[in-house]
Amino acid sequence: MRNLAAILLAGGVGSRLNILVRHRAKPAVPFGGIYRIIDFTLSNIGNSSMTSVAVLTQYKPLSLMDHIGDGSSWDMSGRSRSVKIFPPKTGEADWDWYRGTADAVRQNIAFVNSATSDEIMILSGDHVYRMDYRDMVSFHRKKGARVTIATIPVAWEETHQFGTAVIDDSSRIVEWEEKSPRAKSNLASMGIYVFDRKYLIALLTESKEDDFGHHIIPRALEEKVVYAYPFDGYWRDVGTIQAYWDANMDILDSSSGINPGSWRIMTNINAGGPLYDRPPVSVAGRAHIKRSIVSPGCTIEGRVENSVLSPGVVVKAGASVRNSIIMHDCIIGEGAQLERTIVDKEVLVGTRAMIGIGDPGIANAEHPKHLYSGLTVIGKRTVIPDGISIGTNCIIDPMLHAPVFPTEVKSGTSVTCSKP
Amino acid sequence: MAQVLAMILAGGRVGELDVLTFFRPKSVVPYGGLYRIIDFPMSNLMHSDIENVGILSQYRPFELISHIANGEPWDMMGRQRRAVILPPFQGRGSSDWYKGTADAVYQNIDFIRLNDPEIVIVLSGDHIYRMDYRKLIEFHIEKKADFTVAFTRVSPQGSSRFGLASIEDEDSRGGRVTEYKEKPKSSNLEWASLTIYVFKTDLLISALTDNATNTSHEFGKDIIPMLLKKHRVYGYKHTGYWGYTRTIDEYYHTSMDILGCRPKVDIRSWELRTNMANDSIRDRKPAFVGPSAEIEDSFFYCGCSIEGTVKRSILFPGVSVEKGAVVEDSILFFDSTVKAGARVMRTITDSACTVSAHADIGDPADKLTVIGMDTMVPENIRIEGGVSVHPKLKATAFQKTRYVAGEVIQ
Repeated sequence: MRNLAAILLAGGVGSRLNILVRHRAKPAVPFGGIYRIIDFTLSNIGNSSMTSVAVLTQYKPLSLMDHIGDGSSWDMSGRSRSVKIFPPKTGEADWDWYRGTADAVRQNIAFVNSATSDEIMILSGDHVYRMDYRDMVSFHRKKGARVTIATIPVAWEETHQFGTAVIDDSSRIVEWEEKSPRAKSNLASMGIYVFDRKYLIALLTESKEDDFGHHIIPRALEEKVVYAYPFDGYWRDVGTIQAYWDANMDILDSSSGINPGSWRIMTNINAGGPLYDRPPVSVAGRAHIKRSIVSPGCTIEGRVENSVLSPGVVVKAGASVRNSIIMHDCIIGEGAQLERTIVDKEVLVGTRAMIGIGDPGIANAEHPKHLYSGLTVIGKRTVIPDGISIGTNCIIDPMLHAPVFPTEVKSGTSVTCSKP
Repeated sequence: MAQVLAMILAGGRVGELDVLTFFRPKSVVPYGGLYRIIDFPMSNLMHSDIENVGILSQYRPFELISHIANGEPWDMMGRQRRAVILPPFQGRGSSDWYKGTADAVYQNIDFIRLNDPEIVIVLSGDHIYRMDYRKLIEFHIEKKADFTVAFTRVSPQGSSRFGLASIEDEDSRGGRVTEYKEKPKSSNLEWASLTIYVFKTDLLISALTDNATNTSHEFGKDIIPMLLKKHRVYGYKHTGYWGYTRTIDEYYHTSMDILGCRPKVDIRSWELRTNMANDSIRDRKPAFVGPSAEIEDSFFYCGCSIEGTVKRSILFPGVSVEKGAVVEDSILFFDSTVKAGARVMRTITDSACTVSAHADIGDPADKLTVIGMDTMVPENIRIEGGVSVHPKLKATAFQKTRYVAGEVIQ
């Protein structure tokens, strides 16, 4: 399936990830130490021997574009292999931001027209999973489908977040509900579609509707040509802080089903990093590391437990990092303690700072739906003062310096630039 | 800066490194948990803005060729930049293996002429050091030298294996070389040649051409003494770290110099590059440290899985230390596995070795034990310090349950 083309929708804001998406799109959020979320989809594409991908970007695309580069990190560059990035562009109308998934594809219909494959895949860069897309296309052909949607059973209480499908014995979708509060089925769409290429062109030119889930799929359903491809492996929409933290912690548990190594997940090791190769992890003296992921360039002198460390993190002597996610080049000062904290890149944590310690029951006052389970999040490049105490469910904005911090940040509160 | 071409002598095997150089030249012996020895001159060249490099290969060049690739790891790829491997070749008239360091460069005079540099810097792919060659070349030009050699200070005792010189103190960087002896049995000379040479291109070509009719073709033994008579030969004093890797013991000590809270050399600050595509380093997942691991003063990299005890050791990508295994004072190359309950002390294992359950290798206080690549050490065996184990051995090749110092298992 060398000529199977794919469109990767990577424009989503992912606003529930709060300050983690302040300066980057959701697909570009770091994950699992050395990866970004989009690496899973891009690696699936490369590992499925596909050779042509259009990445549609919209929201804060810079770090994403930098990360994708020329596609060579996923072996997607060469004479007949390419990753093309398509930002929104002005066409005939004056205002042409992508208005939805279907609209984004419609605005790049030239790419769909120029593909040489019978089918085309529509993917999103928001999910953590492994799939060989060739198997899904084989299923699509065997069923004689014109549209196939990958589906996975989800917990009933989560069905309202997804498009859900009711299927018959032949896996044909007979009923489709988009984000229904009382879904009839818990078989959820994974946002992965195979379309007969010409059928997709027809669907998109016949109408001006914006969204696959809301508009395009229901219309195709009427023609009884939509099938559900069953998937039962590890798959996570890491769209919330809690889901993001859970999925990172899953990597520490070999029974969870996620394994970026055996999944052959590839990443761009150069983008945004130093101009040299990160040296090996250095453990100096008697560090204490248990059940953790530790990436290249880290220097560990203190304690690290149940945590995921991205490249270049320094944990000084006497510091303790537990149940936390620490992104690139953070320095955790001597004697500092972090518990259930997500720390974005290049944060300096002062000596003896205590973070994430307090009553986990007090949800964040401003974003109770984002932070409610005891996690605390610290934004990129913030400098946490020495000796400060920061509670649970706290949001500390990016780029903050000592003067804006109170002496204690109570559980459920936030520190932003505007506060004294 | 002047147009500079670098030539790296990277083809030698070096028999003293024993099983580590059965299948690769010394220049690509792994070092420091991630790198190959040749990464040091290559990274130095990159940081010195010298981006035209010829690499002279001879002995089993496959690993060297795949490591250097197209030069891209060191940014030596582009219209004006390149790193090319120069193997021995058949000429129309004569053809031969390289007959010495000087002969290797002599056989590539056409390559030098083609590049037409003002200055040629000749390096060897043998040492662990950081040097800004621009300063050396600046010194060479400022002193109007015809030929400049870099030296490091050694104690005169026990340095009879080096080329030794006396250097005038013109300034803190060095001065004219007044005396040079290649590997003297005894002498009071205290500056040892680092085999880093800077030549005016014309002089290099004429010196190599003159030397070609001789029977011996070495820079140290033949070229330096020859040029010292008639030309301005300068000595540049290198004051930073200099790590030898010519014998197993030297290689081991130079490796261990990077470990600890206050390491002799902090190579983490050297901004090195390697070929991240080689051995698929770049596609390995980050290291996993398990709940039962104990780690002290060690280096490890992506692809490692550590469930046992690791102290004062260097683990290359893909090394696995299972629960209950103990690794101390050892260096484990790519993808080696130490199975549950095994013990590895003061041992170097080459790539893809397996130390099976409850095997007991090496001694904390004795000579080093070295295991060749892709060998399977069987369960419950005792191999003492000072044993050499050949590459690609199956478990059945081990006839005894105990081996003692000096034995070679093959």
